[in-house]
Amino acid sequence: MNYESIWLVLLFPIVGFLIQALLGTRIEKMLGRRALGAIAVLPIVLSFVVGLLITLNTKGGPEATANIANLGKWIDAANLRIPFEFIVDPLSMTMVLIITGIGSLIHLYATGYMSEEKDYARFFTYMNLFIFSMLVLVLGANLVLLFVGWEGVGLCSYLLIGFWYKDLANAKAANKAFIVNRIGDWGLTLGLLMIVALLMKNQVGSSDGRYLSYDSMLPALRTALEHNPGMATVIGLLLFVGAAGKSAQFPLYLWLPDAMAGPTPVSALIHAATMVTSGVVLLNRMHVVFEMSPVASAIICAIGAFTALFAALIAFGQTDIKKVLAYSTVSQLGFMFIACGAGAYWAGMFHVTTHAFFKALLFLGAGAVIHAMAHNQDMRNYGNLRKYLPITFWTMILGTLAICAVGVPGVFGFAGFYSKEAILGAALANTHAQMEGIQVGQIAGWVGLGVAALTSIYMTRLTCLTFLGTEERWRNIPAADHHGHDDAHADEHHHELDANHTPKEVPPSMWFPLVVLALLSVGGGFVLANNGAFEHWLYPNELPILGKVSTEPSNIPLAMYSTIAAVGGIILGLAFYLKGLPKNQGFDESAWSPLRRLERDQFGYDHAMTVASVEGGGDIANALWKWFDNLLVDGVVEGSGKVSAGIGLLLKRFQTGYIRLYALMMLVGFVGFIGYFAYMLSQGGH
Amino acid sequence: MNQTVGGVAITPELLIFGGVAGAAALCAIGVVAFNNAIRSALCLVVNFFLLAFLYFTLNAEMLGITQVVVYTGAIMVLFLFVIMLLNLGAPNLLVEKKDPKKYLGILLGCGMFVLLGSQLLPELLKINAPTLSPELARFGGPEAIGRSLFTAYVYPFEAVSVLLLIGIVGSILLAKRRI
Amino acid sequence: MNGVPLGAYIGLSLFMFTTGVVGVIIRRNPIVIFMCIELMLNSVNLTFLTFARYQMASKPDDRIAMQNSMMAGQMMVIFVMAVAAAEVAVGLGIIMAIYRLRDSVDIDELNLLRG
Repeated sequence: MNYESIWLVLLFPIVGFLIQALLGTRIEKMLGRRALGAIAVLPIVLSFVVGLLITLNTKGGPEATANIANLGKWIDAANLRIPFEFIVDPLSMTMVLIITGIGSLIHLYATGYMSEEKDYARFFTYMNLFIFSMLVLVLGANLVLLFVGWEGVGLCSYLLIGFWYKDLANAKAANKAFIVNRIGDWGLTLGLLMIVALLMKNQVGSSDGRYLSYDSMLPALRTALEHNPGMATVIGLLLFVGAAGKSAQFPLYLWLPDAMAGPTPVSALIHAATMVTSGVVLLNRMHVVFEMSPVASAIICAIGAFTALFAALIAFGQTDIKKVLAYSTVSQLGFMFIACGAGAYWAGMFHVTTHAFFKALLFLGAGAVIHAMAHNQDMRNYGNLRKYLPITFWTMILGTLAICAVGVPGVFGFAGFYSKEAILGAALANTHAQMEGIQVGQIAGWVGLGVAALTSIYMTRLTCLTFLGTEERWRNIPAADHHGHDDAHADEHHHELDANHTPKEVPPSMWFPLVVLALLSVGGGFVLANNGAFEHWLYPNELPILGKVSTEPSNIPLAMYSTIAAVGGIILGLAFYLKGLPKNQGFDESAWSPLRRLERDQFGYDHAMTVASVEGGGDIANALWKWFDNLLVDGVVEGSGKVSAGIGLLLKRFQTGYIRLYALMMLVGFVGFIGYFAYMLSQGGH
Repeated sequence: MNQTVGGVAITPELLIFGGVAGAAALCAIGVVAFNNAIRSALCLVVNFFLLAFLYFTLNAEMLGITQVVVYTGAIMVLFLFVIMLLNLGAPNLLVEKKDPKKYLGILLGCGMFVLLGSQLLPELLKINAPTLSPELARFGGPEAIGRSLFTAYVYPFEAVSVLLLIGIVGSILLAKRRI
Repeated sequence: MNGVPLGAYIGLSLFMFTTGVVGVIIRRNPIVIFMCIELMLNSVNLTFLTFARYQMASKPDDRIAMQNSMMAGQMMVIFVMAVAAAEVAVGLGIIMAIYRLRDSVDIDELNLLRG
């Protein structure tokens, strides 16, 4: 299959969406949930198959070319043309495989996870729509189509986070995600517009008006930015604002922890594997801009490193298993941005790929645990679950090893090992990301090394608290009365967790994806990093401006340091947590250490932002209403009415009803008239 | 007598005209000034007679007779009839209060007279009556009026007859106690 | 008459007209107001006839047109008289109806058109 058939990849999910949107509930009633689940999963699988066939036909390596399939006109103005075009190149096909491959696994998992929920059809409708939007984002051959997909995934994220919308907290979380994303979108839109303005001003870019299409824009940008080096920084920073919004970097990360209010498959798909990596995809597409701006790259490195550190610290103060994984995602995204800032864009994408493998695995595993524990997510209630959930336990161990970047250099490593090596190596070796002579990239590399250690510690904490230890802490919850609960709250969730609960292993539809992902987490890195296969696949030639970006720092024994960080972290974690929950981290949160309490509250950042934006915005709105709307606008409108009425009242005095007065008025007018003419005649006339 | 007053030659005709016109003017003032409505009506009757005389001097004999017959003979009789029927003649009825509109009205009336008069009269007083040949002098007679009424002005004539019919119907309707 | 200037007739007519106007404004008895309206109409009649008579002073050459103008003046007066007659009939009928309703004919009390 060649690239012309890329429309099939887009077609299957949107057809799936339409069928489920229009006929979903009917199919569910007539044919049952299994049929509906099959209809939901099938389009994604088909897209994956087609994507795979096209990928096999796409050349990576030095002969890579971008093939663009033009599917028709969209915007066709005088000097700006934006067609419906889709690009088939290594970057887009990598993302297509991740999206559809891991997406189909997650869809399969979700058929099991959501099997006892209401609104089954609605869930998969939204999931298919999400897959479609994400595909548009990565396959779009111009920035505008990317933006369309960007917005689409934001919408689906909102719909899916707020899936159980009857609970107000979920609706608020969905709102928060959408609104914070909007701030990022503002940056992205401005960046887009500046690119068009720059290209039009410099008269470069496509002669047929396709200013925003990658094939014509990227070489043109290079020329234009050489004449306007400051613009590279500006555009780069604006695009990064967009990326930061979508990929949850500081200060726009605060929607991601709240987004855990959605169902776990949503968290796995959207907030681990695909949507949050859109920012990295954007940076990879627009790498020309960042190559030309050391300042922007330095800022990206700095923010990436800071976010990684910040999120890793917060993860220590979390007791909800999904929140730990959410902050872990934010932290790992920080790593990806460190890579992009340092110039090793392929390393960022490599980490996207491996992160998709192990983070999806971790989330799905957490979902299995939650499912088995009656939807209770607090890790202080877990413990010794390896006895009851063996498959989940072993797959999650493999995922944890992958994220901790465990491996023996030169021999074998789990998936995370290779990608994190590449990132840290590129950061420590680079000289591109610098500001005022400070080698920000290298500092970011050292910070990243520290964060790698922290990652190992908190992931080990999660594993120990959940699976290891001998104490089954949920037995401490008083036994609840099972019988006699009414249907009011039994709809959405099962009975509450109590001391008599026995966790059961999850059904095959749920552990099969776990196994597949575990295999990928173990072997994926090794296969892809073999002889730099991934790097050559994605970026066959040297980068246009930076040339060859090295990922081996010259005089730092990176391999040794990273292994010490990874393994040392695991050992430290085991030391603290192997015996179960420590005394000062229990349910009595006032007994926590001050640092942990700060970490639990995100160092006060979330609260500050909420107060500033929600209440601050409310105050501004109130003031505007009181002063501007009430006084000015209403004053003008009602005032004009009052003026008319006043004039009317004045004129009413003449309507006395007395005929003689009317006659008198006529006479007055008549005399005045005659007098005027007499005067005029005497002045000018005869 | 060839004296001139202000450029206008004094002729016997002018003196006769002056007397008649002066009396007519006085009667006009009387219409307005008398409180008693019957006296106003009678002043108006005298005014109409004098006007009829003036019509005769203008060679409009037919119309002069019509003026006497229709205006004084019918219309003013109707007026007097209504005044007496509704007993509106008594002077203590409708005692006029002191009303600023009255003085304003008189003032404006004088103003109007002065304004219009100052524009029109200086020129018009210079124009004298043209002499008419005998056959032209009969233009106001019944034959001429009759001919013109039934040839050139026959449409307005018919229209006026319809109007009079409507007037009859209307006044009967208005005067009925119950429709 | 031959020796009377045009302006004399017009002056009388103007005077009567003005008096009529003043009378309409001053008097409160509606019958008297009507009579003043008649006064005004008569002044207009006088004007028409005056100009009809004095036509030759302006157009001595075009006999036919002049004759038409002279006749026009008379015709106007005839129609004015006819209309005035109809108007008086109807108007007095109205006054009688109002008198029957309100038992007084003070024109200052007829202010139902008050805004």
